[in-house]
Amino acid sequence: MKFSYNFLQSFFKKKLPPPKELANLLMLHFFEVDGVEKVGSDFTLDIDVLPSRAGDCFSHIGIAREIAAFTGMDYKEPEVKIKEKGESIEERVSMDVRGACSRYTLRVIDDVEVASSPTYIQKRLKTCGIKPINNVVDIANYVMLETGQPLHAFDAEKLGGEKIIVRYAKKREKIVTLDEKRYELQDSILVIADELSPIGIAGIKGGIVPEVDKETKKIFLEAANFDPLTIRRGSRNLKLRTDASLRFEHGISAELTQIAINRAASMIADIAGGRVVKGLKDYYPEKEEEKTVSFDVGDVRKVLGTDVSLKEIERILRALGFRVQRNQENFSVTVPYFRTDVSIKEDIIEEIGRIYGYKNIDPCAPKKEIVPTEKDENFDIENSYKDLWKSFGFSETYNYSFINEELSIHFDRKKLIELEKPVSLEFKYLRPSLLPGLIRNLAENQKNYEKIRIFEMGSVFYSEGGEKYQKKRIAFVSSADDFYSAKGKINLFLDKFFTEQIFYVESDENTIFSKKRLAKIVFGSSNSRQEELGALGEISSKIKEEMRIKGSVVIAELDLEKIKKFRRKTKTYEQIFRFPPSTRDVAVLVPKKTPYAEVEGKIKKEGGKMLRRAFLFDVYEGKEIPEGMKNLAFRLLFQAKNKTISSFEVNKLQEKIIKSLDGVSGWKTRSNK
Amino acid sequence: MKDISQLKEEFLKELKKAKKAEERRKICKKYIEEELSSVFCSIKNLAGEKRTKIGKEANELRRFILEQQKKEKEKRKEGEGWIDVTLPGNDPEMGTIHPLTQLQRRCVDIFSRMGFLAVEGPEMENEWYNFDALNFKEDHPVREMQDTLFVKQKNRESLPAKDKLLMRTQTSPVQVRYMEKRKPPFRIIVPGRVFRNEATDSSHEINFYQLEGLMVGENISVANFKAIINFFFQELFYDDIDFRLRPSFFPFTEPSFEVDISCSICAKKGCSVCKNTGWIEVMGAGMVHPNVLESAKVDSAKFNGFAFGVGLDRFAMIEHKIDDIRLFYGGDLRFLKQF
Repeated sequence: MKFSYNFLQSFFKKKLPPPKELANLLMLHFFEVDGVEKVGSDFTLDIDVLPSRAGDCFSHIGIAREIAAFTGMDYKEPEVKIKEKGESIEERVSMDVRGACSRYTLRVIDDVEVASSPTYIQKRLKTCGIKPINNVVDIANYVMLETGQPLHAFDAEKLGGEKIIVRYAKKREKIVTLDEKRYELQDSILVIADELSPIGIAGIKGGIVPEVDKETKKIFLEAANFDPLTIRRGSRNLKLRTDASLRFEHGISAELTQIAINRAASMIADIAGGRVVKGLKDYYPEKEEEKTVSFDVGDVRKVLGTDVSLKEIERILRALGFRVQRNQENFSVTVPYFRTDVSIKEDIIEEIGRIYGYKNIDPCAPKKEIVPTEKDENFDIENSYKDLWKSFGFSETYNYSFINEELSIHFDRKKLIELEKPVSLEFKYLRPSLLPGLIRNLAENQKNYEKIRIFEMGSVFYSEGGEKYQKKRIAFVSSADDFYSAKGKINLFLDKFFTEQIFYVESDENTIFSKKRLAKIVFGSSNSRQEELGALGEISSKIKEEMRIKGSVVIAELDLEKIKKFRRKTKTYEQIFRFPPSTRDVAVLVPKKTPYAEVEGKIKKEGGKMLRRAFLFDVYEGKEIPEGMKNLAFRLLFQAKNKTISSFEVNKLQEKIIKSLDGVSGWKTRSNK
Repeated sequence: MKDISQLKEEFLKELKKAKKAEERRKICKKYIEEELSSVFCSIKNLAGEKRTKIGKEANELRRFILEQQKKEKEKRKEGEGWIDVTLPGNDPEMGTIHPLTQLQRRCVDIFSRMGFLAVEGPEMENEWYNFDALNFKEDHPVREMQDTLFVKQKNRESLPAKDKLLMRTQTSPVQVRYMEKRKPPFRIIVPGRVFRNEATDSSHEINFYQLEGLMVGENISVANFKAIINFFFQELFYDDIDFRLRPSFFPFTEPSFEVDISCSICAKKGCSVCKNTGWIEVMGAGMVHPNVLESAKVDSAKFNGFAFGVGLDRFAMIEHKIDDIRLFYGGDLRFLKQF
């Protein structure tokens, strides 16, 4: 908000620090100053008053009070003297206030002479970004800048009747505002009306009908307090934000109306020659109560961690307008009406701290017993996963937590979580998988790189059975691995960090993956209790086309939470066998679509404990192999813990395995000894 | 019979003359197989002492020649595989860790040395934890200041705050989630992703990272806060960093501050990064509001503490001189591979 340096100076006898220096002090003790700009002989200070202090510091007096507190200079608010004349206000106007208005104050001023306002007023208004109109309107605005209380003047002779009504608008009621814009109102919007029609949108903008102009002689001057929420909603609803609505929507003290209306009335009398009618109409059903807060000097020390003297505490609070009573080290302070933000002792300590100056508080290490914290395992675990994938050649990426409509078609609609009014349709849904982002990364990186390996660890979101879930996953895409080298990496990763045995099961469920080249990764002891851990496969040709991806790409996504749940905490040493092993090769011809796992399972079952490893060293189809068949060649390694196995034993085992393989119809072994 | 020392001289002379390795090999061979063997043949006929002496000398020479032969062999081996040492090396197939992950790790490390535990919380949060528990008053304008991304829900308005979902606008909800399940004292940091529904540009993103810190105990002060973050800044920037506290306002802290660090790029002289002020705003902080402690079922009469939040993206941008926040979320390997 813009403030005038000269205006601020007017409250002080002594000279203020120069504008830039003042701005710096304000920043250290109050709020940030976004800029200092010279405007003629004045300066604009653009002070970023935060909402908590809007109640008193959307005003020059509020800022002056702050300056007085941190500079120690004396400031003085303008004196108000009103000479009232003539009949009582009761004979001139009546009021009917209904709803959303906690105070409505009205004065009547006759015989005003509307002209331009004095130069100093015009200049200060301009510095603060307000256009001068005429003396009456300018004074209303000037007093708003001074006190923070919006005021409004109506030409009394343009009103329909002698009654001012505060009420909600009727549905579709219309009003033309001072800037000649037409608004259609809703019944949630508060208006000021005469007996015929609305004459202003309460707290937001005046209507054009009772506009004060050169001919105006009699005015009704209003200073009111409206419900912040009603004003905020009304202002948003009409898309009309004004200096008045800005102040009302943050909430100001109802005590202000009387102070401001008297100040404005006295200025109008002085400057525009008006005659103030006797009395004040004041609707104020519930007077604001004064708040008191108690604390002791120990509370200040505890929070700030430094000693501020009793004298300094008193000085600071008094300068800020608090009434202070002290009994030894105990304080009881009365909060001034304008400080709507202060209600607890922490609020008071903040006042002391910031005016005293945070820079005057020396750092001091906490003196505490050492209570060991838990170990942040989660973070460590995730880091070790990331480091392993990095060592496999994968670079970590971060993608948005969102996907757009285009990518959403690859997922079950019912499971997608949609957002309300995202800034861009790119962010329409929460991502149900990390893969879309990674695939897009891959497509874009193909412009610059041939071999791409990237991974991401992050949250995915989906809805299921009416519940909304978020789960952590790890996913990767690679144009530098084929299915089997990727599988090898996943296996190594899981072997290192996961205790359960995993299986790869053919699947065709996911549309991001190629239908023919997708494996679900499952774990669990028996088929019935198997849980899904993730999926590995090649990217579907449809997506490849859509995203113009070249070459074959393997993608995988794993459930991080399940990996963590069954995580390997420690590894048990497996004894190194000291007795020499014997090897035998076995090759078996099986139909092409026989899964390797089936053959391997059979060999392992027959081989028993002595068979330490069955290593597949060749898969061959083609020449010399019957049509529709493939040849799987294994090297079998036999070894025992406690003895050298005789070749007799090894041969017997080999024969057993061969016999069992040959026993399957359609399979045929070829072996050498 | 030739004198042994004379024989050695002759051998060396011949060897020196020979230009090619091949010739030198032949010379060695000749001396061992011809010259020396004739010596050995003839000493058989010599008598006692002399025989021993010459035998010994001959053996020494033989060893000497064998050694020369070996040297020649080694020379040949080395010479075969000449390589151009100036050719470029092959890139190892190594991946990289995202710069924001690296920064989070460093922050967690620095704070863990002061006994802070890193914890996490949900990114999809509810209104109670994100606003109500943090002392954001219902209908207060601050609640709208945050450009919240709300989750679309049926009859949202009629749901209780704990069921109204949104993408968390800050990591602070984790403070309450953590405290309500445990007993003080607490020292935690919370790195994590947060969301704002605002248009993206070079300094704004719809999602970004924060690091939240919280210390609660008996008699925790602003002075303590200054000591803790002083250590953090010095460690993080490997440098002498000056910082200052300015008054600010947050619903969940009282008093509240903004923390500025001195601009390390221009050494407080003023540059584009610090907008010519010499200071960079990096942290929001304050003493935890009693209402927040109470929402987390912590006795605010007995315990107090401080909390702070920093934008990690901004730190990483300052550290690496990155001028566009969107690079963090674009997945461009030309960017990622640099870290």
